[in-house]
Amino acid sequence: MLTIYKISLILIAGLALIYTFQGYYPDFMSFFSNAFPPVIAGAAVVSSGFSLQKYWHKAREHFSLVWICFTIGLFLWFVGEAIWMGYTLIWNIETPYPSIADIFWLMGYIPFFIALYLYVKIFSAALTKKVLLVSAITTIILSFIVSATLIAPVLGSEKDLITMVVDFIYPFFDLALFSVAILGLLIFLKGKLGKSWMLINAGILMDICGHLLFGYTTAQETYYAGHLLELLYHYGYIFFLLAFYAHTKEL
Amino acid sequence: MLEAVDEGLLILGESGRQAIYFHLQNLYSLKKEDIPNNLKVFADGLRKIFGQGAEVIEKRTIKTLYNKLGINYEEKRKLDFLDYVENAKKNVAAL
Repeated sequence: MLTIYKISLILIAGLALIYTFQGYYPDFMSFFSNAFPPVIAGAAVVSSGFSLQKYWHKAREHFSLVWICFTIGLFLWFVGEAIWMGYTLIWNIETPYPSIADIFWLMGYIPFFIALYLYVKIFSAALTKKVLLVSAITTIILSFIVSATLIAPVLGSEKDLITMVVDFIYPFFDLALFSVAILGLLIFLKGKLGKSWMLINAGILMDICGHLLFGYTTAQETYYAGHLLELLYHYGYIFFLLAFYAHTKEL
Repeated sequence: MLEAVDEGLLILGESGRQAIYFHLQNLYSLKKEDIPNNLKVFADGLRKIFGQGAEVIEKRTIKTLYNKLGINYEEKRKLDFLDYVENAKKNVAAL
Protein backbone atom coordinates (compact mmCIF):
# COMPACT_ATOMS: atom_id res chain seq x y z
CA MET A 1 0.00 0.00 0.00
CA LEU A 2 2.91 2.32 0.70
CA THR A 3 4.18 1.88 -2.82
CA ILE A 4 1.52 3.97 -4.56
CA TYR A 5 1.95 6.73 -1.97
CA LYS A 6 5.71 6.69 -2.51
CA ILE A 7 5.26 6.76 -6.29
CA SER A 8 2.87 9.70 -5.92
CA LEU A 9 5.32 11.55 -3.69
CA ILE A 10 8.09 11.02 -6.25
CA LEU A 11 5.70 12.17 -9.00
CA ILE A 12 4.77 15.30 -7.04
CA ALA A 13 8.43 16.16 -6.44
CA GLY A 14 9.37 15.26 -10.02
CA LEU A 15 6.66 17.49 -11.48
CA ALA A 16 7.83 20.37 -9.30
CA LEU A 17 11.39 19.89 -10.59
CA ILE A 18 10.23 19.66 -14.23
CA TYR A 19 8.30 22.93 -13.88
CA THR A 20 11.05 24.69 -11.91
CA PHE A 21 13.78 24.05 -14.46
CA GLN A 22 11.63 24.48 -17.58
CA GLY A 23 13.88 27.29 -18.83
CA TYR A 24 16.37 24.64 -19.97
CA TYR A 25 13.87 22.79 -22.18
CA PRO A 26 11.12 25.18 -23.37
CA ASP A 27 10.03 23.05 -26.33
CA PHE A 28 9.64 19.93 -24.23
CA MET A 29 7.84 21.96 -21.56
CA SER A 30 5.33 23.28 -24.05
CA PHE A 31 4.59 19.70 -25.10
CA PHE A 32 4.59 18.30 -21.57
CA SER A 33 2.31 21.01 -20.22
CA ASN A 34 -0.40 20.02 -22.71
CA ALA A 35 0.20 16.28 -22.99
CA PHE A 36 0.53 15.35 -19.31
CA PRO A 37 -2.95 16.43 -18.05
CA PRO A 38 -4.90 13.78 -20.02
CA VAL A 39 -2.46 11.16 -18.72
CA ILE A 40 -2.87 12.02 -15.05
CA ALA A 41 -6.62 12.66 -15.45
CA GLY A 42 -6.90 9.26 -17.17
CA ALA A 43 -5.06 7.64 -14.26
CA ALA A 44 -7.59 9.22 -11.86
CA VAL A 45 -10.45 7.82 -13.99
CA VAL A 46 -8.87 4.35 -13.80
CA SER A 47 -8.52 4.63 -10.01
CA SER A 48 -12.15 5.70 -9.72
CA GLY A 49 -13.12 2.88 -12.10
CA PHE A 50 -11.50 0.32 -9.78
CA SER A 51 -13.54 1.74 -6.89
CA LEU A 52 -16.67 1.52 -9.03
CA GLN A 53 -15.87 -2.10 -9.82
CA LYS A 54 -15.49 -2.85 -6.10
CA TYR A 55 -18.58 -1.03 -4.84
CA TRP A 56 -20.99 -1.47 -7.74
CA HIS A 57 -23.97 -3.66 -6.99
CA LYS A 58 -27.03 -2.19 -8.66
CA ALA A 59 -28.09 1.24 -9.92
CA ARG A 60 -30.80 1.61 -7.28
CA GLU A 61 -28.28 1.57 -4.46
CA HIS A 62 -27.04 5.00 -3.36
CA PHE A 63 -23.53 3.74 -2.73
CA SER A 64 -23.27 2.28 -6.24
CA LEU A 65 -24.51 5.57 -7.67
CA VAL A 66 -21.86 7.45 -5.70
CA TRP A 67 -19.09 5.61 -7.50
CA ILE A 68 -20.60 5.76 -10.94
CA CYS A 69 -21.00 9.54 -10.49
CA PHE A 70 -17.40 9.97 -9.34
CA THR A 71 -16.20 8.00 -12.35
CA ILE A 72 -18.40 9.89 -14.84
CA GLY A 73 -17.29 13.24 -13.37
CA LEU A 74 -13.61 12.36 -13.64
CA PHE A 75 -14.14 10.93 -17.12
CA LEU A 76 -15.69 14.21 -18.30
CA TRP A 77 -12.69 16.08 -16.86
CA PHE A 78 -10.42 13.66 -18.69
CA VAL A 79 -12.29 14.39 -21.95
CA GLY A 80 -11.84 18.11 -21.26
CA GLU A 81 -8.09 17.60 -20.82
CA ALA A 82 -7.89 15.53 -24.01
CA ILE A 83 -9.74 18.21 -26.01
CA TRP A 84 -7.43 20.92 -24.60
CA MET A 85 -4.46 18.78 -25.70
CA GLY A 86 -6.01 18.46 -29.18
CA TYR A 87 -6.45 22.23 -29.45
CA THR A 88 -2.90 23.01 -28.33
CA LEU A 89 -0.83 20.22 -29.85
CA ILE A 90 -2.81 19.46 -33.04
CA TRP A 91 -4.45 22.78 -33.95
CA ASN A 92 -1.70 24.90 -32.37
CA ILE A 93 -4.06 27.16 -30.45
CA GLU A 94 -1.92 28.47 -27.62
CA THR A 95 -4.60 29.00 -24.93
CA PRO A 96 -7.98 27.58 -26.05
CA TYR A 97 -9.99 29.29 -23.35
CA PRO A 98 -12.94 29.21 -23.23
CA SER A 99 -13.52 26.30 -25.60
CA ILE A 100 -15.43 23.03 -25.97
CA ALA A 101 -13.03 21.59 -23.39
CA ASP A 102 -14.65 23.88 -20.80
CA ILE A 103 -18.08 22.41 -21.55
CA PHE A 104 -16.80 18.97 -20.55
CA TRP A 105 -14.95 20.28 -17.52
CA LEU A 106 -18.02 22.15 -16.31
CA MET A 107 -20.31 19.19 -17.01
CA GLY A 108 -17.97 17.02 -14.93
CA TYR A 109 -18.81 19.04 -11.83
CA ILE A 110 -22.43 17.86 -11.87
CA PRO A 111 -21.85 14.10 -11.36
CA PHE A 112 -18.92 14.85 -9.03
CA PHE A 113 -21.16 17.04 -6.87
CA ILE A 114 -23.93 14.41 -6.91
CA ALA A 115 -21.42 11.74 -5.83
CA LEU A 116 -20.22 13.82 -2.88
CA TYR A 117 -23.78 14.79 -1.95
CA LEU A 118 -25.11 11.20 -2.06
CA TYR A 119 -22.20 9.91 0.01
CA VAL A 120 -22.53 12.57 2.68
CA LYS A 121 -26.33 12.23 2.65
CA ILE A 122 -26.03 8.58 3.72
CA PHE A 123 -24.22 9.74 6.85
CA SER A 124 -26.01 13.07 7.28
CA ALA A 125 -27.41 11.98 10.65
CA ALA A 126 -23.85 12.21 12.02
CA LEU A 127 -23.69 15.90 11.15
CA THR A 128 -23.82 18.02 14.28
CA LYS A 129 -24.54 21.74 14.39
CA LYS A 130 -20.87 22.31 15.15
CA VAL A 131 -19.79 20.41 12.03
CA LEU A 132 -22.25 22.31 9.87
CA LEU A 133 -21.04 25.60 11.33
CA VAL A 134 -17.37 24.79 10.70
CA SER A 135 -18.22 23.77 7.14
CA ALA A 136 -20.28 26.92 6.49
CA ILE A 137 -17.66 29.27 7.93
CA THR A 138 -14.83 27.64 5.95
CA THR A 139 -16.83 27.82 2.71
CA ILE A 140 -17.81 31.46 3.31
CA ILE A 141 -14.19 32.45 4.02
CA LEU A 142 -12.99 30.68 0.87
CA SER A 143 -15.79 32.30 -1.20
CA PHE A 144 -14.70 35.69 0.09
CA ILE A 145 -11.05 35.01 -0.80
CA VAL A 146 -12.02 33.82 -4.30
CA SER A 147 -14.24 36.84 -4.93
CA ALA A 148 -11.69 39.30 -3.55
CA THR A 149 -8.89 37.82 -5.66
CA LEU A 150 -10.81 37.58 -8.93
CA ILE A 151 -13.23 40.49 -9.12
CA ALA A 152 -10.81 43.38 -9.74
CA PRO A 153 -8.41 41.72 -12.22
CA VAL A 154 -11.12 39.91 -14.22
CA LEU A 155 -13.55 42.80 -14.43
CA GLY A 156 -10.68 45.18 -15.19
CA SER A 157 -9.40 43.01 -18.01
CA GLU A 158 -10.40 43.17 -21.66
CA LYS A 159 -11.96 39.72 -21.58
CA ASP A 160 -15.36 39.17 -23.19
CA LEU A 161 -18.38 38.46 -21.02
CA ILE A 162 -18.39 34.68 -21.56
CA THR A 163 -14.74 34.40 -20.55
CA MET A 164 -15.38 36.50 -17.45
CA VAL A 165 -18.34 34.31 -16.48
CA VAL A 166 -16.30 31.14 -17.00
CA ASP A 167 -13.48 32.65 -14.90
CA PHE A 168 -15.87 32.92 -11.99
CA ILE A 169 -17.79 29.68 -12.60
CA TYR A 170 -14.78 27.39 -12.07
CA PRO A 171 -13.73 28.48 -8.58
CA PHE A 172 -17.34 28.72 -7.45
CA PHE A 173 -18.13 25.24 -8.78
CA ASP A 174 -15.02 24.08 -6.90
CA LEU A 175 -16.38 25.77 -3.79
CA ALA A 176 -19.70 23.96 -4.24
CA LEU A 177 -17.77 20.66 -4.25
CA PHE A 178 -15.74 21.79 -1.26
CA SER A 179 -18.83 22.74 0.77
CA VAL A 180 -19.98 19.11 0.62
CA ALA A 181 -16.56 17.44 0.72
CA ILE A 182 -15.63 19.23 3.95
CA LEU A 183 -18.71 17.69 5.57
CA GLY A 184 -17.49 14.25 4.52
CA LEU A 185 -14.07 15.00 5.95
CA LEU A 186 -15.51 16.12 9.27
CA ILE A 187 -17.72 13.02 9.50
CA PHE A 188 -14.97 10.51 8.71
CA LEU A 189 -11.93 12.40 10.04
CA LYS A 190 -11.31 10.06 12.98
CA GLY A 191 -11.81 6.91 10.94
CA LYS A 192 -9.74 5.17 8.29
CA LEU A 193 -11.96 6.69 5.60
CA GLY A 194 -10.80 10.11 6.82
CA LYS A 195 -7.64 9.66 4.75
CA SER A 196 -9.65 9.30 1.57
CA TRP A 197 -11.79 12.35 2.39
CA MET A 198 -8.71 14.37 3.27
CA LEU A 199 -7.30 13.60 -0.17
CA ILE A 200 -10.60 14.49 -1.88
CA ASN A 201 -10.60 17.82 -0.05
CA ALA A 202 -6.95 18.40 -0.92
CA GLY A 203 -7.74 17.71 -4.59
CA ILE A 204 -10.61 20.19 -4.57
CA LEU A 205 -8.48 22.81 -2.80
CA MET A 206 -5.79 22.38 -5.47
CA ASP A 207 -8.45 22.99 -8.13
CA ILE A 208 -9.77 26.08 -6.31
CA CYS A 209 -6.26 27.57 -6.18
CA GLY A 210 -5.52 26.48 -9.76
CA HIS A 211 -8.69 28.02 -11.20
CA LEU A 212 -8.22 31.16 -9.14
CA LEU A 213 -4.69 31.63 -10.46
CA PHE A 214 -5.70 30.69 -14.01
CA GLY A 215 -8.46 33.32 -14.01
CA TYR A 216 -6.04 35.85 -12.55
CA THR A 217 -3.13 35.14 -14.90
CA THR A 218 -5.27 35.03 -18.04
CA ALA A 219 -6.77 38.36 -16.98
CA GLN A 220 -3.24 39.75 -16.59
CA GLU A 221 -2.23 38.02 -19.83
CA THR A 222 0.65 36.34 -18.02
CA TYR A 223 -0.49 32.74 -18.44
CA TYR A 224 1.61 30.50 -20.70
CA ALA A 225 1.84 26.74 -21.32
CA GLY A 226 4.04 25.45 -18.53
CA HIS A 227 3.01 28.06 -15.95
CA LEU A 228 3.68 26.90 -12.40
CA LEU A 229 -0.04 27.06 -11.59
CA GLU A 230 -0.52 23.94 -13.74
CA LEU A 231 1.15 22.00 -10.94
CA LEU A 232 -1.96 22.59 -8.85
CA TYR A 233 -4.17 20.90 -11.45
CA HIS A 234 -1.75 17.96 -11.71
CA TYR A 235 -1.59 17.61 -7.94
CA GLY A 236 -5.39 17.77 -7.82
CA TYR A 237 -5.67 14.73 -10.09
CA ILE A 238 -2.98 12.90 -8.10
CA PHE A 239 -4.92 13.55 -4.89
CA PHE A 240 -8.18 12.31 -6.45
CA LEU A 241 -6.39 9.21 -7.71
CA LEU A 242 -5.00 8.56 -4.23
CA ALA A 243 -8.35 9.31 -2.56
CA PHE A 244 -10.12 6.59 -4.50
CA TYR A 245 -7.23 4.19 -4.02
CA ALA A 246 -7.23 4.87 -0.27
CA HIS A 247 -10.98 4.33 -0.14
CA THR A 248 -10.82 0.90 -1.71
CA LYS A 249 -7.98 -0.04 0.65
CA GLU A 250 -9.68 1.19 3.82
CA LEU A 251 -13.14 -0.18 3.06
CA MET B 1 -28.87 -9.38 16.56
CA LEU B 2 -27.06 -10.62 13.48
CA GLU B 3 -30.08 -9.78 11.31
CA ALA B 4 -30.11 -6.24 12.75
CA VAL B 5 -26.38 -5.84 12.08
CA ASP B 6 -26.87 -7.18 8.58
CA GLU B 7 -29.59 -4.63 7.91
CA GLY B 8 -27.67 -1.81 9.60
CA LEU B 9 -24.68 -2.36 7.37
CA LEU B 10 -26.89 -2.33 4.29
CA ILE B 11 -26.76 1.47 4.52
CA LEU B 12 -23.81 1.27 2.10
CA GLY B 13 -25.52 -1.21 -0.19
CA GLU B 14 -24.71 -4.87 -0.67
CA SER B 15 -21.16 -4.30 -1.89
CA GLY B 16 -20.43 -1.87 0.96
CA ARG B 17 -21.81 -4.35 3.49
CA GLN B 18 -19.57 -7.12 2.15
CA ALA B 19 -16.60 -4.73 2.26
CA ILE B 20 -17.28 -3.94 5.94
CA TYR B 21 -17.56 -7.65 6.86
CA PHE B 22 -14.34 -8.30 4.97
CA HIS B 23 -12.48 -5.55 6.84
CA LEU B 24 -13.85 -6.56 10.24
CA GLN B 25 -12.61 -10.08 9.64
CA ASN B 26 -9.30 -8.96 8.19
CA LEU B 27 -8.41 -6.26 10.70
CA TYR B 28 -10.10 -7.47 13.87
CA SER B 29 -10.45 -11.21 13.16
CA LEU B 30 -14.18 -10.73 13.64
CA LYS B 31 -16.28 -13.08 11.56
CA LYS B 32 -19.83 -12.11 10.67
CA GLU B 33 -21.37 -14.88 12.78
CA ASP B 34 -19.26 -13.87 15.81
CA ILE B 35 -20.47 -10.26 15.87
CA PRO B 36 -23.40 -10.79 18.31
CA ASN B 37 -20.92 -12.15 20.89
CA ASN B 38 -18.32 -9.45 20.26
CA LEU B 39 -20.35 -6.28 19.99
CA LYS B 40 -17.64 -4.09 21.52
CA VAL B 41 -15.13 -5.23 18.90
CA PHE B 42 -17.77 -4.63 16.23
CA ALA B 43 -18.54 -1.11 17.49
CA ASP B 44 -14.82 -0.28 17.83
CA GLY B 45 -14.20 -1.61 14.33
CA LEU B 46 -16.93 0.59 12.88
CA ARG B 47 -15.48 3.63 14.71
CA LYS B 48 -12.04 2.89 13.33
CA ILE B 49 -13.36 2.71 9.78
CA PHE B 50 -16.04 5.42 9.75
CA GLY B 51 -15.12 7.74 12.62
CA GLN B 52 -18.19 9.75 13.62
CA GLY B 53 -20.07 8.19 10.70
CA ALA B 54 -20.21 4.91 12.64
CA GLU B 55 -23.01 6.42 14.75
CA VAL B 56 -25.32 6.33 11.74
CA ILE B 57 -24.72 2.61 11.16
CA GLU B 58 -25.06 1.86 14.88
CA LYS B 59 -28.33 3.78 15.14
CA ARG B 60 -29.75 2.01 12.10
CA THR B 61 -28.73 -1.35 13.60
CA ILE B 62 -30.32 -0.52 16.96
CA LYS B 63 -33.55 0.70 15.37
CA THR B 64 -33.78 -2.53 13.36
CA LEU B 65 -33.06 -4.61 16.47
CA TYR B 66 -35.71 -2.81 18.54
CA ASN B 67 -38.18 -3.11 15.70
CA LYS B 68 -37.57 -6.86 15.39
CA LEU B 69 -37.96 -7.31 19.16
CA GLY B 70 -41.07 -5.14 19.28
CA ILE B 71 -39.42 -2.64 21.63
CA ASN B 72 -40.11 1.08 21.40
CA TYR B 73 -36.95 2.94 20.34
CA GLU B 74 -36.25 6.21 22.12
CA GLU B 75 -33.14 8.20 21.38
CA LYS B 76 -31.14 9.09 24.47
CA ARG B 77 -28.02 11.19 24.26
CA LYS B 78 -26.01 9.45 26.94
CA LEU B 79 -26.53 5.92 25.60
CA ASP B 80 -24.08 4.34 23.22
CA PHE B 81 -24.50 1.31 20.97
CA LEU B 82 -23.70 -1.23 23.70
CA ASP B 83 -26.05 0.48 26.19
CA TYR B 84 -28.92 0.23 23.71
CA VAL B 85 -28.21 -3.49 23.22
CA GLU B 86 -28.12 -4.00 27.00
CA ASN B 87 -31.45 -2.20 27.28
CA ALA B 88 -32.90 -4.45 24.62
CA LYS B 89 -31.71 -7.54 26.53
CA LYS B 90 -33.31 -6.25 29.74
CA ASN B 91 -36.55 -5.50 27.93
CA VAL B 92 -36.66 -8.99 26.40
CA ALA B 93 -35.85 -10.61 29.78
CA ALA B 94 -38.65 -8.63 31.46
CA LEU B 95 -41.25 -9.91 28.98
